Amino acid sequence: MGQLFLATTAEEAGGTHRIGGMEPIIATENLKKIYRVGKVDVPALRGVDFVVQEGEFVAVVGPSGCGKSTLLHVLGGLTRPTSGVVLVDGNDFMRMNDAERTKFRRHKIGFVFQRYNLLPTLTARHNIALAQHIQGDGFNPHRFDAVVEMLGIREMLDRKPYALSGGEQQRVAIARAVICEPKILLADEPTGNLDTENSQLVLNMMRSLNRDFRQTILMITHNPEAAAVADRIVRMRDGRIVSD
Amino acid sequence: MIVENILHRPIRTLVSVLAVAIEVGMVMLVVGMTHGMLHETAKRVQGVGADIMVQPPGASLFFGLTQAPMPVQIGDRIEQIPHVLAVTPVLFQFITQNGINLIYGIDLPSFDRVSGGFVYLKGGPFEHPDDILVDDWYARANNVKVGETLHFLNHEFHVTGIVEHGKGSRLFIPISTAQDLSGARDKASIFYVKCTDPGYTHAVMSSIRELLPSYQVHSIQEYMSLMTSNDLPALNAFITAMIAVAVGIGFLVIFLSMYTTITERTREIGILKSLGAGKGYIIDVILREAGLLSILGIFAGYGGTWLAKRAIVAAFPTLTVELTIHWAIWAGLLALGGSLLGAFYPAIRAARLDPVDSLAYE
Repeated sequence: MGQLFLATTAEEAGGTHRIGGMEPIIATENLKKIYRVGKVDVPALRGVDFVVQEGEFVAVVGPSGCGKSTLLHVLGGLTRPTSGVVLVDGNDFMRMNDAERTKFRRHKIGFVFQRYNLLPTLTARHNIALAQHIQGDGFNPHRFDAVVEMLGIREMLDRKPYALSGGEQQRVAIARAVICEPKILLADEPTGNLDTENSQLVLNMMRSLNRDFRQTILMITHNPEAAAVADRIVRMRDGRIVSD
Repeated sequence: MIVENILHRPIRTLVSVLAVAIEVGMVMLVVGMTHGMLHETAKRVQGVGADIMVQPPGASLFFGLTQAPMPVQIGDRIEQIPHVLAVTPVLFQFITQNGINLIYGIDLPSFDRVSGGFVYLKGGPFEHPDDILVDDWYARANNVKVGETLHFLNHEFHVTGIVEHGKGSRLFIPISTAQDLSGARDKASIFYVKCTDPGYTHAVMSSIRELLPSYQVHSIQEYMSLMTSNDLPALNAFITAMIAVAVGIGFLVIFLSMYTTITERTREIGILKSLGAGKGYIIDVILREAGLLSILGIFAGYGGTWLAKRAIVAAFPTLTVELTIHWAIWAGLLALGGSLLGAFYPAIRAARLDPVDSLAYE
C-alpha cells in the first residue's frame, strides 16, 4: 500500500530544470498570468515566486479574486502562463504546448474541485476508472481496490453522483484524482461545499494521503480550519504571494 | 461512457436514431421501389416468351411513354423471315386508373403462340370485343372477380378471366378494341417475335433490321440489361437526389444533436480535460457516440424498412419493393458516413474548448 503513491516514474525529463540548486516539485519565478477580457488586460497573477518540495502539503489562502484558482490552473497545466518561469516536476510549462501540458497533466497531476466535478452519467466506479482509462494504462484492479478501501467508498461504487452526498462525492473525486498515482494533487476549495463533519473527513483523508504516502498536495481554501491541516500556509493578495 | 451518455438523454437519442432510421429507410425504399418496379416490368416483358421485340422509330423502352403505332401488316413480313416461329402485335394503352397501368391490346391466338398461352386461374379467354383479362396481382389488389365490369378508357369491359401474372401486362383486351378506342386501326405499338430456337435471335434481328432499317430491334436479353436505373438517366438523377435528401436529413439531425450535446456538456468536457484527456480523446468520444447513435439508427432503419415494405405490398399488391443486401449496406454506410461527418465539427469544437472556461461553465 505504501508503494501506491510513490510509484510514479519520472517522465518527460527533457525539460528538467533546477532553481537555486534544489529540486522542488513546483517552482515559479515571477509568474504572471494576464487574461484578456474584451480589450482590457486583467492581470490575475502579478509575479508569483513560489516553491513546493516533494511531499509537502501546502495551503494557499487569500480573498476571492486574489489569483489562487489561476495559480492552481497554471500549475495544473490547464492554462498557459503569460510570462515567468513555471517548473513542475522539472518541466518548464512555458516551453510546453497545450498537448504536452495535457499529457503531463494526465500522468502527473490530480485535481479535486469544490464542486466535485464527477461525470453525472457515470457511476462512482466508472468515474474513478475513467481516469485510468484516460491515462492509457488500462484498468488496474489492485490499485483501484486499494484506493477504494483507503477512502472507504466501496459501498457507493455503483451509485451515480446524484445518489451520493456531497462528502461521498468528494471522496469519490479524491479517489479519481489519486487513482493514477499523480505526483501532485491540486485541490481547489475541496471542502467549500461540505458541512463541518464531511469537511473534516475529507481533510483527514488528504492529510492521510500526504502523511502516509508522501503525496504532494497544494490546496486552495478560504477556510482557516482547512488551511491549518497543511504543513505550510501561503497567503495571496492581488495576484502576489504576501506571506509564506 | 458512450452508452451512459446515450441512455442519459433518451429523447435526444430517440430523435437521432429515428432520423438515421428514416434516412436508411428512405434510401432503401426509394431504391427498392424504383429498382423493383423496373425489374418487375422487365421480368413481365421477358415473361411474354419472345426472343425479340420490334418497335417503331422513336419509341421508348418505357412502353407507356409513347405508343408510336406501326402497321400490323409489318408482322406478316417479319413472320416470313427464316427461323421466326411466331409474331404477335401489341397495342399499348396507358391508364392511370387504380395506379399506373399499361393495357396490352393483344391478338390472343398469336400472343398465345409466342407466350405459350395464358394460365387461367379463373374464367377463360376473350369471347367478345369488350372482354378483358386481368392478372392475379391486379385482381387481388383491386378485388376484381370474373364477371365484373371494369371502366377504362371511357369504356366498359367485362372481366372474362383471371390469368397468372408475368406475361407483359396486368390487363389485356382484344387488339381490335384497343385500336378502335385509340383511333389506330390496324396499328400496333410493338411486335414480339419468337424464334424457332433462341440461338437464331441475332440472325433474325439482322434480317429484321434489313427489312425495317429505321425500326428499333432489341433482343429481350438486351432489353433486360437496359432496364436498370443506370440506363435511365432521369431515374438515376431522381434516385441520387432522394439519397442526397435522406443523407442530408441524417447529417443535419446528427450535427444538431451533437452540437447541442457539446454545449450541454461543456463542463463535462472540462472535467475530461482536467483528467488529461487530449483533443484526440475528446474527438474520439464524440465521434464514437455519433457512431453508436448511427448504428442504432441503421438497424432501426433496417427493421422499419422491412415493416414498410410489408405495409406497402399489403396496401398496393402490384408494387414490387426490391430490398437488397447491396443497398442495405450502402444505406448503412451512407448513414454512418453522414453521421460521422455531422458530428465532426461539434467534436472539433469540443476538443478546442478551453479547459478553464469549460470547468467554469454553468
